[in-house]
Amino acid sequence: MDKLIIKNLTKSFDGTGVLHNVSFTVRDGEFLSILGPSGCGKTTILRILIGLESADSGEIIKDGVNITTLPAAKRKMGIVFQNYALFENMTVLRNVEYALLKSAGTKGEYSRKKAAAKAKEMLELVGLSEHLDKKPRQLSGGQQQRVAIARTLALNPDVILFDEPMSALDVDTRLSLRAELKELQKRFGTTMIYITHDQEEAYALSDRIMVMDAGVIHQLDTPHNLIDRPADDYVRNFVIRNINIKINSLIQFARLEDNK
Amino acid sequence: MRIREKWSPSTALKILLCIFWLFAIILPLIRMLSTMATVDVRAVITARKFSKALRQSLTVSFTATVIAVALSGLLSWAVARTNIRHKTILNTLITVPMLIPSISHGMGLVIILGANGWLSRFLGLEGGIYGFWGIVIGSVMYSFPVAYLMLYDVLRYEDGAPYEAAEVMGLTAQNRFFAITLPYLRKPMISVVFATFTMIVTDYGVPLMVGGKYMTLPVMMYQDVIGMLDFGKGSVIGMILLIPALIACILDMANRDKGNAAFVARPYLIKKSAVRDNIARGICIFVIVLVFLPIASFSILGFIAKYPTDMTLSLKNAAQAIHMGAIRYLKNSLIIALVVSFLGTALAIFNAYMTARSRTRLSYVLHLMSITSLAIPGIVLGLAYVMFFKSTPIYGTFAMLFLVNSMHFFASPYLMAYNTFGKINDNLENVGAAMGIGRWTIIRDVILPQAMGTILEMMSYFFINCMMTISAVSFLANVRNKPLALMITQFEGQMQLECAAFVSMLILSVNVVMKYILFVMKKRTTF
Repeated sequence: MDKLIIKNLTKSFDGTGVLHNVSFTVRDGEFLSILGPSGCGKTTILRILIGLESADSGEIIKDGVNITTLPAAKRKMGIVFQNYALFENMTVLRNVEYALLKSAGTKGEYSRKKAAAKAKEMLELVGLSEHLDKKPRQLSGGQQQRVAIARTLALNPDVILFDEPMSALDVDTRLSLRAELKELQKRFGTTMIYITHDQEEAYALSDRIMVMDAGVIHQLDTPHNLIDRPADDYVRNFVIRNINIKINSLIQFARLEDNK
Repeated sequence: MRIREKWSPSTALKILLCIFWLFAIILPLIRMLSTMATVDVRAVITARKFSKALRQSLTVSFTATVIAVALSGLLSWAVARTNIRHKTILNTLITVPMLIPSISHGMGLVIILGANGWLSRFLGLEGGIYGFWGIVIGSVMYSFPVAYLMLYDVLRYEDGAPYEAAEVMGLTAQNRFFAITLPYLRKPMISVVFATFTMIVTDYGVPLMVGGKYMTLPVMMYQDVIGMLDFGKGSVIGMILLIPALIACILDMANRDKGNAAFVARPYLIKKSAVRDNIARGICIFVIVLVFLPIASFSILGFIAKYPTDMTLSLKNAAQAIHMGAIRYLKNSLIIALVVSFLGTALAIFNAYMTARSRTRLSYVLHLMSITSLAIPGIVLGLAYVMFFKSTPIYGTFAMLFLVNSMHFFASPYLMAYNTFGKINDNLENVGAAMGIGRWTIIRDVILPQAMGTILEMMSYFFINCMMTISAVSFLANVRNKPLALMITQFEGQMQLECAAFVSMLILSVNVVMKYILFVMKKRTTF
């Protein structure tokens, strides 16, 4: 079943087209990555989906309801940013608790005590139960991103959008966070849309990948099909370029090893 | 990238703010400049008295600027680039002169080096320091802490990596200075020089006290407007005084953007050197003694019966000042300073939020309007307000002084808030919107608490400056709302230096107490 249907999204800034008639669907419980170079329009799609930006034309249907003009708060979607956007003046626990107490979707549903219990539960899920009383700045980048994920998950959104959430993290943290994210998605069954320019990350996490460039979709398919059956030259080159980089790195690595 | 404005409640608020700035700054200024149409500008400018005052203003300001910047450069090096201890205390002591009006600096100097100054008498100097050198020394004392703070920040945040690279390359200390330090300091130094020059050239407090017959433009403007009610001539001088302030403002804006873009890779590593540290310690002690001599002098003078004829300790001057309304005027000053510190800070926060957290074209226009006051000397703003608001109900009320002080001191606190809001995570409102938490709730619960340190600094800035200003308010105050600082000019005119000293000490005490209270609050609230 389709969770989201996006029809003919068009957007331009100061007369420059950023999205050109973009249409795609996202299945319920799916992990969809939007992959493309900087400036291809992927973040604009995400901001339009969540309601932070409005499209010049087009429609967004979620669970059969047209949400194109609904404010962000009423879309039941969550978002995780690259720069975490944590509340720096609050503790880790308070960050999640505050969201539960103040969010329009859960307001009145939680007493302070219940909110604290739920917040602890969510933070335990992301492995942060030992850091509840710390301020975000006392945590590593990976831990901060876990707080942001826990805060979003706590509100139980239908869809979670990720805006390059791991691009500021080191390789080891990325690998472990990837696995955790995939695990959380399985556990909650939440539909996730993930923006990245890192092919490896997209292949590792996604059920399907949407390759974009210059405001148009080149292919939306499974990772396997992208490699096996690229829809056009752009996708072929895009995929091959990544493979070439990997192969060259491996060759270079092998040479260095030989020279040792 | 600045984006085109879309119609929204925030657009409406920005337009309202722009209209406010139009009435608060731009129209009064236009009104003042339009007065020149009724004046024979050429006759004013070519008059011998005017050209002499202009020449003297430029000469004295240029000399004082060179000395103040050199002194502050040396001092900022001594504090920022050495391992001397107690840097926080040193910074506090060095910046104490920023807590008293410029006229009090002049007065301190008169007590030390005037015709009857204790040092003049001790050294047997006759005639005193009045005139060119008096203004130069007084202006240096008044302006160097500001130049020092600017340069200290520049040196403190300089990237240490190029120095490390130069050392690895084997460059000598001299080469490092010319290849790294000087190019790095060039742009900030231009800002510092113009800011200091503007501060000195537009001040009338020091020249009024120690200028003697050496007339400068601000004193001429003050005397023409206050003494002869010659608003037309005042406007012409005001326009001339706008020029250096405008240049300083433009240079500051150009350099500020560069400064924000700078990325500090490594803090500067200060090596061990006992000799260098001892020299630095000596410089600091020397400057602090220089700073405190006039302050200590007028603090003592306030409690001396009649200097130099009756040196007995007495509360007579305090009683005289109180009899002449010092407590009432102190109350006025406290009312003005407290109201302006709250209203001004609230307005600056509101403005800065609108400009720093949404980068639209209208935000940029609002930003430019918000920093306009940087380019308007207080004395010019005061005159513009007299002309613009004279026939309105607000004229002559406390509200007039709240407004003029809020506008006069607005730009610096506004820029503090602008920089702080700009540095706070730019996705907080977006996260709030996605969660259904209102913008105001996010501002109240997340953004303002994160900016609390800056907010307290802003309040302190407004309060202290309102307590000691004698510029914009001098044309607008009357007996009912006169602030305490204006009693100094009044006592100076009546040759009651002891009473003026007592008033200066009162202002210094209030400012020190307020600075301490806000320092404690800042320590408690900064997370």
